Amino acid sequence: MPGHTAEDVAGLLPMVRRIVGARVGGHPAAEDLVQETLTRVLAASSTIEPGMLEPYAIVTARNVVASMWRDADRKRRNQHRALDLSTPDAPETQVVLDEEQSAMATALARLTDRERRTLLDHEVTGTDTRTLAAREGSTAGAVAAQLNRTRARLRVEYLLAVEKVEPPTDRCRPVLIALSGGDQRRQREVQAAQHLLECEPCARLSQPLLERGQQRDDSLRIAISGDPDIVSARVAARELAGRLAFGPTDLTVVATAVSEVCRNIVRFAGSGEVVVELLETPRRGIQVVARDGGPGIPDVERALGDGFSTYGGLGLGLPGVRRLMDEFAIASEPGHGTTVTMTKWERTNDG
Amino acid sequence: MNGGPALVSIMRQGSTLIASVHTALDDSQLVRFEHDLVDQIGEHRSRGVIIDVAALDVIDSFAALTLRRIAEMARLRGALTVVVGIQPEVAFTMVRLGMGTGDVPTALDLEEGLALLAAHAPRARSGTSTDTSNGYP
Repeated sequence: MPGHTAEDVAGLLPMVRRIVGARVGGHPAAEDLVQETLTRVLAASSTIEPGMLEPYAIVTARNVVASMWRDADRKRRNQHRALDLSTPDAPETQVVLDEEQSAMATALARLTDRERRTLLDHEVTGTDTRTLAAREGSTAGAVAAQLNRTRARLRVEYLLAVEKVEPPTDRCRPVLIALSGGDQRRQREVQAAQHLLECEPCARLSQPLLERGQQRDDSLRIAISGDPDIVSARVAARELAGRLAFGPTDLTVVATAVSEVCRNIVRFAGSGEVVVELLETPRRGIQVVARDGGPGIPDVERALGDGFSTYGGLGLGLPGVRRLMDEFAIASEPGHGTTVTMTKWERTNDG
Repeated sequence: MNGGPALVSIMRQGSTLIASVHTALDDSQLVRFEHDLVDQIGEHRSRGVIIDVAALDVIDSFAALTLRRIAEMARLRGALTVVVGIQPEVAFTMVRLGMGTGDVPTALDLEEGLALLAAHAPRARSGTSTDTSNGYP
């Protein structure tokens, strides 16, 4: 028995709207909920007893609203699962996160109100520099430059907060900010390189700031997984080193050292990566970091022991590489891989 | 590797094989070069081998070892090997690295290399015409 027509259902509209409105108010989904209710009532209309249409619609409306809240709640509660497919965090991770967060809060608090407001409007709210410039009575370029300076300061303040370091001298902050901003003229003005030699906390804090600054075009990363990669890595390293005042011998030395460490990656770990970076501080030079996640070297001392006949020893060629480079450090953990860090400095005039 | 320009050419002049490396070789290419050269020494009954490495900007431990291995295998097959054309900066680096060419004789360039072979093996004539010139690989 076709008890109810579409017109009957359409007639329920004002009532359903009232019911939904009473529960969700001006929620953006309100009209969707109304339509959803009517659709369900219409779909079931042929089975609804005469006279029961209104009560049915009322119950349906309540159910639809309730299931929306339920879905929203479930989605909210499960949201972290959708994002986090990795293994559960170690207990200390949350502590670290909390520390990082509080360090960031401290760092933000150390900015001036105006710096903080502009930075947050730009980074969090997404206001573009032109809009900000109009508000500040400035130009977009000036706002962008100011944002860069603010970011540089924020990085420094964050590092100080997270490391819980109070800079020992009043030269520290300007030096760190100059390094953070990557502004070489400013770095010379504050004699940053000199300060880093004298100030241990700054030398330590400057590491992440410098690493960050160099990732622009003075560094390259080469994945190593086979014989041809050894050649490409050494060709690339030679090319990058060519930007320094290196003679042909130094270029060959760097290329050869890269070749040796890459071969160790291919032979003993299968794959890894090499990062070649030009350094500006404390002197101009080139740094090569070769990393792998291979079996590691059980006895680093022995691998570095100079038997001179390289292939008679552990076959790693490391003593020879150490002789080629100015700085050489190796960190290896059995089962977790090996990292070789080596540097060749540009020769200074005094030798 | 296939279809590109030859990485190495091996030419025969009389009883001497002249192998010229034209470009940087990776380890597997070096191993192939080693095999090919040793094969040809037998095939052509060569008495002398010259390996010209003037084009190599890097001779690392593996390349040095390969040169030494080739020379030793050639010696066992009755041929004397001379490595020629090691660049000055390459020589410096090899010494610092601790990887020389061992007992393998060297010469400044091709001409000196041929002279050295002629002095060591008077019977090895180098006057006959070039008969093979094969691209490698």
